[in-house]
Amino acid sequence: MRNFVEISIGIIIAFFLYTIIGKISFSLSQLLNFFTLAVIYFAITKGELYGACIGTVCGLIQDSFSLGVFGISGLSKTLIGFLAGFIAQRINVLPLVRNFLFILVLIIGETALSLFLYYFISAEYAREITPLILFQPLCTAILGSIVFLFLRKFRVLSF
Amino acid sequence: MRLFLKEKKKAIILFSLIFFHLILISFQVPLGDKQNYFERAIFSVFSPVQHGVIFFFKKAGEIWNDYFYLWEVQKMNKELKEEMFLLRQENSQLRRALRRLKAERDIRNFISNLHDSFLVTRVIGIDARNIYKSIIIAKGSLDGLKKNMVVLDWQGHLVGRIIDPISLKEARVQLITDIESGVSVISLKSRAGGVLKGDGKGNCRLEYIYPTQKVNNGEELVTSGLDHIFPPGIKVGTIVSIKTEASLFKIIKVKTSFEFSELDLVVVILGDSKDVLLKGE
Repeated sequence: MRNFVEISIGIIIAFFLYTIIGKISFSLSQLLNFFTLAVIYFAITKGELYGACIGTVCGLIQDSFSLGVFGISGLSKTLIGFLAGFIAQRINVLPLVRNFLFILVLIIGETALSLFLYYFISAEYAREITPLILFQPLCTAILGSIVFLFLRKFRVLSF
Repeated sequence: MRLFLKEKKKAIILFSLIFFHLILISFQVPLGDKQNYFERAIFSVFSPVQHGVIFFFKKAGEIWNDYFYLWEVQKMNKELKEEMFLLRQENSQLRRALRRLKAERDIRNFISNLHDSFLVTRVIGIDARNIYKSIIIAKGSLDGLKKNMVVLDWQGHLVGRIIDPISLKEARVQLITDIESGVSVISLKSRAGGVLKGDGKGNCRLEYIYPTQKVNNGEELVTSGLDHIFPPGIKVGTIVSIKTEASLFKIIKVKTSFEFSELDLVVVILGDSKDVLLKGE
């Protein structure tokens, strides 16, 4: 029950930030992916199964708020969530630089997988990709590593 | 068997989730931009949350502004702005209509119906995948919104049309910059007609213009009404570049009339937009 409440709050916070950032700046909303950060956070703290399930939920929410193929973000986030949890169970990914690289690689993987699936389904979709999306892994990884650093400082996150 | 399931629990759940997504994707691909029930359900559940967040921040901002700064002035200014906003819309539609309407009685009928035909609303969300595809607005089926209703910006420029899903208090608008959007347009100067399609990057392309047809940079495009969705005469954009290559048609880039960064308030034309704008004709 506690896990369910924590995860629900986490997803709502991600959705809240996604909405607010979209209202503040359209460009900024393309650079930061709060849903992915939520997935990675829960994958690290709760394990790969939670990562995969939260990835499914977050991905489908993101899909339902965009015009595209419903399920692509869901699939990529599910895989990223599982992978994040799997790696975090075996390697300490919390030190700042390692954490940054960990998030960066995961989000690059997610972006690449989404793009591949869109190309695979229709090259027409790939034409819609805005260059800003390509900077999303870097910006989200910087934000994510800073957030995780603070969470560690306040002992919310530990390995 | 039970031991096997226990040992392979993680792999089984992961593959079940992947399988679930592959099923979703394979159902979605033939539907194109149409939403399935599952997507509609998620949208209906979360769009009120989005609405609430925006409402909360708007109210918080208003409280700050209203109570800590010139409360009365702020209020009056806001009312005047809203009034000006509506008047601009009316003015722009009236100008268009006056060009066409002849009989005085028709004009009276048109004016009396016009004011109730607009619905001003706020943009509360954008498309997470591509900001130039769609937006979410803070009015829904309870406010009378229906699919294909036309959406304009504060100056009366075409922004897009309402598409599914429409929840009780929120609706999605497909922007004209979406790659899958199509608007029948005509040039005001050369009268060349074509289909305006989004390029997914904030601009549009004018398609199906033969190399022999004369069109020039700077020409303004308006809706032609031939698509039976967008009423004729709404300003859509301006031609910014023309290339004539070895292809069958010219490659024409169009800058939209609406400014994406200024999309905060929009206007929805209620009812059949053609009836609203052409009343009395």
